[in-house]
Amino acid sequence: MIKNKIELLAPAGSFGCLQAAINSGADAIYFGVEQLNMRTKSVAPFLISDIKQVAAVCKAHKIKSYITLNTVMYDHDIRLLQNILSEVKKNAIDAVIAADFAVIQYCRQLDIPLHVSTQANVSNIEAVEFFSSFADAVVLARELTLKQVSQITKEIERKKIKGVSGELMKVEIFVHGALCMAISGKCYLSLHTQNASANRGACTQNCRRPYKVTDTETNEELHIDNEYIMSPKDLCTIGVLDEVVNSGACILKIEGRSKGADYVSVVTKCYREAIDAIGEGSYSDEKIQHWKKELTAVYNRGFWEGYYLGHKLGEWTRNPGSSATEKKIYIGKGSKYYPKIKVAEFTIESGNIRKGDTLMLIGTEHGMKKEQIENLMVNGVEADKAVKGDKITFACDTKVSAKDKLYKIVQNPNA
Amino acid sequence: MPKIIHYRNKCIGCNICFELQPEIWRMSKKDGKATLIKSLAKKDVFISTINESILYQSQEVAKACPAKIIKII
Repeated sequence: MIKNKIELLAPAGSFGCLQAAINSGADAIYFGVEQLNMRTKSVAPFLISDIKQVAAVCKAHKIKSYITLNTVMYDHDIRLLQNILSEVKKNAIDAVIAADFAVIQYCRQLDIPLHVSTQANVSNIEAVEFFSSFADAVVLARELTLKQVSQITKEIERKKIKGVSGELMKVEIFVHGALCMAISGKCYLSLHTQNASANRGACTQNCRRPYKVTDTETNEELHIDNEYIMSPKDLCTIGVLDEVVNSGACILKIEGRSKGADYVSVVTKCYREAIDAIGEGSYSDEKIQHWKKELTAVYNRGFWEGYYLGHKLGEWTRNPGSSATEKKIYIGKGSKYYPKIKVAEFTIESGNIRKGDTLMLIGTEHGMKKEQIENLMVNGVEADKAVKGDKITFACDTKVSAKDKLYKIVQNPNA
Repeated sequence: MPKIIHYRNKCIGCNICFELQPEIWRMSKKDGKATLIKSLAKKDVFISTINESILYQSQEVAKACPAKIIKII
C-alpha cells in the first residue's frame, strides 16, 4: 500500500524520552547537545559526552540517530561545533540536521550525512536541487500544502535529483506537534522583549500568552474574539496520514524535544500504529478516533492539520497551556529494587495514591510505563491509600533507581 | 564590594554580556560560552568582585542575559 518505506522520526530530549521513542516503535530519533540546538533553554540538553551513549543505545535497538545543530552559529561557536562534529563522526551518528552554512560546509568536509533543517525554509524543487550537493534529505517548510509537497517529491523522481549518498533526495516533513506563528520558526518576538533569541534555542513563548489591544489615545480596549491571537493550535495529521504518506515524504517527524517521555511514548505509538495500518490497509475512521483520543490525553494546544490542507493560519489556541485531557502529578522517586522477585519500591514525597489509581513511571531505562494499581502494598502490607513518607512496592520488570520518577494520572480540569 | 555570580554551565552563548561589557566578559572559543574574567570558580559557578563604578552596567548585563544566569549581589 505504501510506495516508499516510511521512517517515523521521534524527538529525544532526554535518555528517558529516547527509551520511550524506542519502546513505542520509532524508526529514528533526533536529539541536540550543548547550546547549539533549538531547545537549549527549555530542557537540560545532552552534553557532547552523551553522544557516545545515544549512538550506542540507538545501534543496539537498530534505529537511526540524527543530531540537531540548527541554531544560528556565531564565530565563537565554531570550535564547539568542530568538537561536536568530531564526536558525531567518531560515533557514526546517522546524520546532522542543520541550516547554517558553516555546519553544512563542515559536514561535507568530514563526510557526515546532512539533512537540511526546516529552518532553511525549503519550499521548492530548485532549493532541493541546490541542497542535493550537500545533503541526503531536506526537511520541507511546514507552511507548504500536501499538494506542494507532492509536486516536490514527484519532481525529485522525474529529475532524478540525488543526494550526496547517490540515492534520490529524501523528503522529511513534520506530522505532529507545536507550530510556530513565524515562518519556519524564524521568530524574533522573544528577542525583542527579553533579548532571548528563539534562534539560539531561548524562545520564551510570548506568542502563547493572551493579549489585549488598547487604543493609547482613548485608553479604550478593543474587543478581540480570542485573546490568544498569536498562538497556533498544534499540528496533528493522524486523520490525514494516508494523504501525508501519499505525498511522497518518507521521513515523518514528531516535534517535541522539550516534552516528557509520556508525550513521546503516546504520540510515537499512535503514529507507529497509523503508519502500519496504512501499510496493511486497515487505516479507518474508527482507528483515527481512537488515536485522536489518545493524542488528546497528552500535552496539546488543541489540534488542526496545519497548512497541509491549504488552510490559512486561523486555528488559534484558546488556553494558556495544555488542553490535554489528562495530567500527571509528581508522587515520588524510586528508592529500592529487588531483582530476584522483580519488585520496585518508591518513596512517596508528595500527594497520595489510592488503590485503583493510574500511575506513570518515567525513567532512563523504562521510557514511560503506565499502569492501574490493583494491589497497593504500603510499607510491606496491603492498603487502600498511601501518603507522603510511605514506601510502596509493585512488580516491575526493569531496574528502578532514584532517577526514576513516579506520577499519578488525573483528569486535567483545564481541558 | 558588589559581586557578580555567573552560573556558567547554563550559558547559551548568545554574546550579549560581551557585547555590553567587554571589559569583564569574553566569549570562550573553547566551548562557545561566556567567561567572566578574573573570576573564582566554585564548581560550575564563577564569582568576581567588582568595583562600584561598574555596578550599574553589570546590573544591565544581568537584566539582558536571556538565560538569567548572571546575578549581582
